[in-house]
Amino acid sequence: MAEAVSYTEKLKKWDRFEAEKFSKKAPVTTPYPFIDIEKPPEYRGIPHINPEKCIGCGACVNACPPDALIMEWDKEHGIKRLTYNAARCIRCARCIEVCPTGAMEPTTRFEIATDNKEDLVEVVEHKLAYCEECGEYLDFTERQIEYVKAILPKEIFEMYALDERIGLTQEAKMRKTVEKLRETEGIPVSAFMLVGEVKDKKGGEK
Amino acid sequence: MVTTKDLEAHFEFECKACENGRCAKADVETILSEREGLKEFYEAFKEHIRECKRMTYGQYMFVIDREVLPDAVLWWHNHPEFKETHMSTAVGTDERPLNGHFVYMPFLSVQVEHRNMDRNYWVFLKAYLPADDPSFPSVAAKLPAALWIEREVKDLLGFNPVGHPDPRRLILPEDWPDGVYPLRKDMDYRHSPITEPKTEYRPTPEGTSLVPLGPVHMGVEEPAHFRLFVKGETIVDVDYRGFYSHRGIEKTGEGRLTYNQVLFLAERICGICGYQHSVSYAMAVERLADVEIPDRARYIRTLMLELERIHNHLLWVGIAAHMVGFDTGFMHAWRIREPVMWLVERLTGNRKQYGMNIVGGVRRDILDYRKEEILKVVKEIREGTKKFLDIALNTNTFIKRAEGVGILPYKVAKAYSVLGPTARASGRRIDARLDQATKTAMAYNEVDFKVPVYKEGDVLARVLVRMDELFESLWIVEQLIDQMPGGDIMVPIGDLPEYEEALGFTEAHRGEVVHYVMTGEKNKVYRWKVRAPTYNNLPAIPEMLRGYHVADAPLIIASIDPCYSCTERVQFVDVETGKVKVLTEAEFNELSIKYKGVF
Ligand code: SF4
Ligand code: SF4
Repeated sequence: MAEAVSYTEKLKKWDRFEAEKFSKKAPVTTPYPFIDIEKPPEYRGIPHINPEKCIGCGACVNACPPDALIMEWDKEHGIKRLTYNAARCIRCARCIEVCPTGAMEPTTRFEIATDNKEDLVEVVEHKLAYCEECGEYLDFTERQIEYVKAILPKEIFEMYALDERIGLTQEAKMRKTVEKLRETEGIPVSAFMLVGEVKDKKGGEK
Repeated sequence: MVTTKDLEAHFEFECKACENGRCAKADVETILSEREGLKEFYEAFKEHIRECKRMTYGQYMFVIDREVLPDAVLWWHNHPEFKETHMSTAVGTDERPLNGHFVYMPFLSVQVEHRNMDRNYWVFLKAYLPADDPSFPSVAAKLPAALWIEREVKDLLGFNPVGHPDPRRLILPEDWPDGVYPLRKDMDYRHSPITEPKTEYRPTPEGTSLVPLGPVHMGVEEPAHFRLFVKGETIVDVDYRGFYSHRGIEKTGEGRLTYNQVLFLAERICGICGYQHSVSYAMAVERLADVEIPDRARYIRTLMLELERIHNHLLWVGIAAHMVGFDTGFMHAWRIREPVMWLVERLTGNRKQYGMNIVGGVRRDILDYRKEEILKVVKEIREGTKKFLDIALNTNTFIKRAEGVGILPYKVAKAYSVLGPTARASGRRIDARLDQATKTAMAYNEVDFKVPVYKEGDVLARVLVRMDELFESLWIVEQLIDQMPGGDIMVPIGDLPEYEEALGFTEAHRGEVVHYVMTGEKNKVYRWKVRAPTYNNLPAIPEMLRGYHVADAPLIIASIDPCYSCTERVQFVDVETGKVKVLTEAEFNELSIKYKGVF
C-alpha cells in the first residue's frame, strides 16, 4: 500500500520555484508570486535606497507618512542607521520627491511576498562625524558634512569660518566663539573660565 | 442643566477671527448680506447668536446657544425656499485645552439655487458645551439625519444628546469600557482597553422571526450586520450594527502626522473613492491656507475624479447584476471597467490610491501623449457601456428584480439627508460638484454637464441615474482634455494659520464627501472629521427594506453602493460568546512557527 501523505506535506515537496516545469503542466496559470508580472513603466513600486548616494540627512524620514523609514542614532559606536521597511510602505513616493541626492530610487517592483520578514528590510548605516576637540560624535554623518561643503558657496564658508568649525560639536563651537570674542573685544575674563562655568552648569542639571 | 447663557457670565468668548479682520462682529451687516438667508436666520435667532463669521469663501459660522440647536438646524433644514438644504453632518471637538469647553457643531449645505455655486453656501452652527456637563438637546428627536452623528459623539467624546430616541452604542466595539472616550484629547491614540462585552441588540418584535444578514454582506463583501425582523417573507423591521472596521483614523491624523502626511492617510480611507477623500482633504487645507492652486492642477484633479467615478459606477452596476443573479452582466461590466484601471495606472502609477495629490496641487503631470490614450479609452467605454445597457435593460430578470423594489420616497430621503445617486433617484436635485463652491480645488465650473434626476426612488432608478452619470462623466473627461490649460501643477503652501477651521468637499460616486479640518499648532491638525456619503445613506436602509421580501434585502442594501470602510473609518470579537479573537503577538508568532513552510 502506498504511503498516505497529507496534502500539506505534498505542498512542501512541490517545488514551486521552477517556473518552466510549472508552465508546461498548466499553460494558463503562472507561478505568481514567484515570477514578475507585467506592469507599465509608470508603475509606482516600492522605493530602494542607494547606499552609495545616501548621505543620511533624514529628509525622507520626515516625509514618510506611515513611518516606513526610521532613523536611529547610535552615538556610542558613531553610527546613524536608516531603516526602510517595505511591509509598512504605502508606495506614495514622497521620499523620492524629497531626497536631496537622488539616493531614493523609484522601482516598478510590485510583489514583495516572502516567507522571511527580513527580506523586506533595507538598512543603510552611516558613520557619524567625529569631533576631535571633545572626543564625541556629532549628530551629522560624515557624508552630510561633505555634501554641505560641496554645495555651499565659498564666501559663506569663509564668512563663518566653516572650514574649521563644521566638524565640531555644539559645545566645541561655543567654546570657539567665546575664544574669538575674547580675542576681538579683549574682555579681561579668561575664556577658559567662562566655558568652565557653562560646563559646570550642565553637569549640575544632569 | 447649565445653560450656555449662565456660562457666558463667567466666560469671555474670544473671537480669533477679529485679529485678522475677518470677524463679523465688526461688520455683521456686510457678512450677513453676502448670501441670501443669512440675515433672516440672524433675525430669527438674534438672542442666541454669540458670534458670526465667514470661515472662508462660501462657509459661514454662527456660534449659538446649545439650547436652540434643534430649532436652528430645523430652521435651515425645513427652509421653505431653499428646498434641498440638508444637514450634512456634525462634528464634536474637545477644545478643553484651548478654552475649557467641548464643541458640538452641526453643519448644513444650504442650496439657494441648484447648480449655482456662488449663491449656495455652508452654515456651521457651533455650540459650546461646558466641560463638566457636555449635554445638548438632541436634534435627532426631530430630524433622523442626526441619528448617527449624535450616537457617534456620545461614543467618541462622551457628549449627552438629551432626548435621543436610540442612544445605543454605534461605533465603539461591545467590549470597550464605558466612560473611555477615544477622541478626547487626554486619551493617547495607542490606548485600547478591553472589558467584558455586552450586546445591545434590539429585541425581536412580537410575532416576527429574526433573519440575520451579515456580519459580512454577501455582495459587497464588507462587514455590516443587519438583523431583519420578518413576518413570513416580508420584512417588518430592521436593526443595524456596523462599524466593525472602525480604525480610528481621525485620532491618528490628529496625533502625530503633519498636514501633508494626513493627506496620504485620507486617501487610504477607502479603496474605491480614495481620490475623492484626498481631494476633499487637500481642499480643506488649501482653504485654510487661503491659497489658489494652479488651473492645470484643478483640471488634472477633476480628470482623475471623473475617471474614478466611471470605473466605480461600472463596478457597482456589475455588483447589482450579480445580486439579481444576472452574472453575465457582472462579468461584462467588469470587463468594460478594466481599461480604466489600466489607464489610471499609467497616468498615476497605481490602479487605485493614485497618490497624485499634494496639498497645493498635484504631483504628476498628464503628459500630452497620454491624452490620446485617454480619449481612446473613453470611446471604448462609451461603446461598451451602451452595448451592456442595451442587453441589461432588456433582460427581464434584471428589470423584474429592480423595478418597484426598495422605494425611498423623496420626503424620507430628505429627512435622512440621503446623498448622491441614491438621493437623485428619489428626486432630490443635489450634486455637490455644482451646488457648492468646488471651484477652488476642481474645475467643474468650467465644464458643461447634466445632473440626471429620477423620481421613482426604486433600485432601477438608482441603476439608471448612475448609468446616465457615467455618460456625463465620459463627456466631462473629453471636455477636460480639450480645455486643459498649461502651467504649473502645484504651489507651495507654507505654514498654516493656527486654530482655523474649513471644510473640503467633493461629490463622490456615492454622494458628497466632507472633510472638516481644524488646524493646531506647528502645522499639525487639531481636529479632522471625515464624513463619507454612506454615513448618511445607510441609516435610511431600514426605510427602504420595510415591506419587501427577504430575498430583495441584499440587492436593496447594495443599491445605495454602501462602503463600510469609508463610513467606519480594530479588533475582532465574537460578540455573543464574548470570545476575543485578537491574537497576541506571542500567540501569533507561535502559530507562524508551527505552520512555517506549510503556507
Ligand atoms: S514610498 Fe512613501 S511610504 Fe514608502 S518609504 Fe517612501 S515615503 Fe514612506
Ligand atoms: S533623503 Fe535621501 S539622502 Fe537623505 S537620508 Fe533619505 S535617502 Fe538618504
